[in-house]
Amino acid sequence: MLELDDELMQRFQKGDEDAFNLLTRRHQKPLINFIARFTGDKDNAEDLAQETFIRMYKAANRYKPGRAQFKTWMYLIAKRLCMNEVRNRGRRDRFRVDNIATNDKAYSANDEQIDLIATAPADAAFQPEVALERKELRNAIQKAIAELPEQYRFPLILRDVQGLSYDEISKILELRSGTTKSRINRARLMLKDKLKPFMELL
Amino acid sequence: MNCLQAEENFSAHLEDALDYQMLQRFESHIAECATCQREYARFSESVKASQQLPQIEPSPYFMPTLQQRLAEEQRESFSFWQRLQRVFVMPKWAISGVMVGLLIMGTVTFLYHDDWFNRGTQPSDEQISTQGTGIFSGSPINNQFLPRASGSSDFSNTISGQPMQQHYTLKRVSYSTVSTGGGL
Repeated sequence: MLELDDELMQRFQKGDEDAFNLLTRRHQKPLINFIARFTGDKDNAEDLAQETFIRMYKAANRYKPGRAQFKTWMYLIAKRLCMNEVRNRGRRDRFRVDNIATNDKAYSANDEQIDLIATAPADAAFQPEVALERKELRNAIQKAIAELPEQYRFPLILRDVQGLSYDEISKILELRSGTTKSRINRARLMLKDKLKPFMELL
Repeated sequence: MNCLQAEENFSAHLEDALDYQMLQRFESHIAECATCQREYARFSESVKASQQLPQIEPSPYFMPTLQQRLAEEQRESFSFWQRLQRVFVMPKWAISGVMVGLLIMGTVTFLYHDDWFNRGTQPSDEQISTQGTGIFSGSPINNQFLPRASGSSDFSNTISGQPMQQHYTLKRVSYSTVSTGGGL
């Protein structure tokens, strides 16, 4: 049976280093995705994800199981690191989406699977331009997310990309539940407007 | 319900979070308003598209690098305080107290006994010769206990009821008159 994050943290607090390794393996992918979607920079996302884990490692003794979820704590640290990173970075590099948008390596096996499903040779309607359009659409979504103001970008990524609950998002962003909901709705409306030119692809 | 109110409830409707009364009002508005109908369709499509964004895979170097950094952290995790505690086997507050005490003692010593630092100091450009008289006649007197005088002076001192007279002769060395052997 899969051990809960809290149980692993308790094991780590008692000196079991492997428990923390297990936690990092479990959460590395969502964390990197969250940071990459926010900063628009995949390479830097890995550095920030590592920094997040190291900060958690150092502060592990202060973690109180049951009081806060490991995941919430992780995103809270990552959010602060992302904000620092974006502020430290000049406006010139603020929306560096090219790193993700144009680099095929940035896409995962899942991404390739999506493309394969969409352009399966067995499909009578297979058209290379459809795959291209899908790629364009992905780039457009990533760019549109990266262009959202910070206060809307965080909740949108946490909800629609990371799939977190409203309660979790409220804790991470330190907002009231109503504010979180209205920001997510507003972010989605902004995204819809930005994607209007691509709507026929959807 | 107007268009603005309908727009505010797009997410709630998409996630089935509207109560029955609000659901009725929302759906009746959407059914009547072509603009809201179109916008809601676009809204739900764009949400679906962003939810289907592909996941980025971590690079193969991510975990090894992280583990290496964590191992370094583990080595360095013993802080200054922890190391000090290991040496003295004392709680933090006790070590702090000892250190503060030492600091205060050092400061007090420095302020009230600064003449200690001057005892060994000799005038650099003056040479003092002393000549004792009386019962100490002929015996050398330690320069360490002599005042730093800048001129010739006589003074009386009493040791065991015996007057002691000392003669100071200062010899000022003038570097300008020292022969340089014609070199300069």
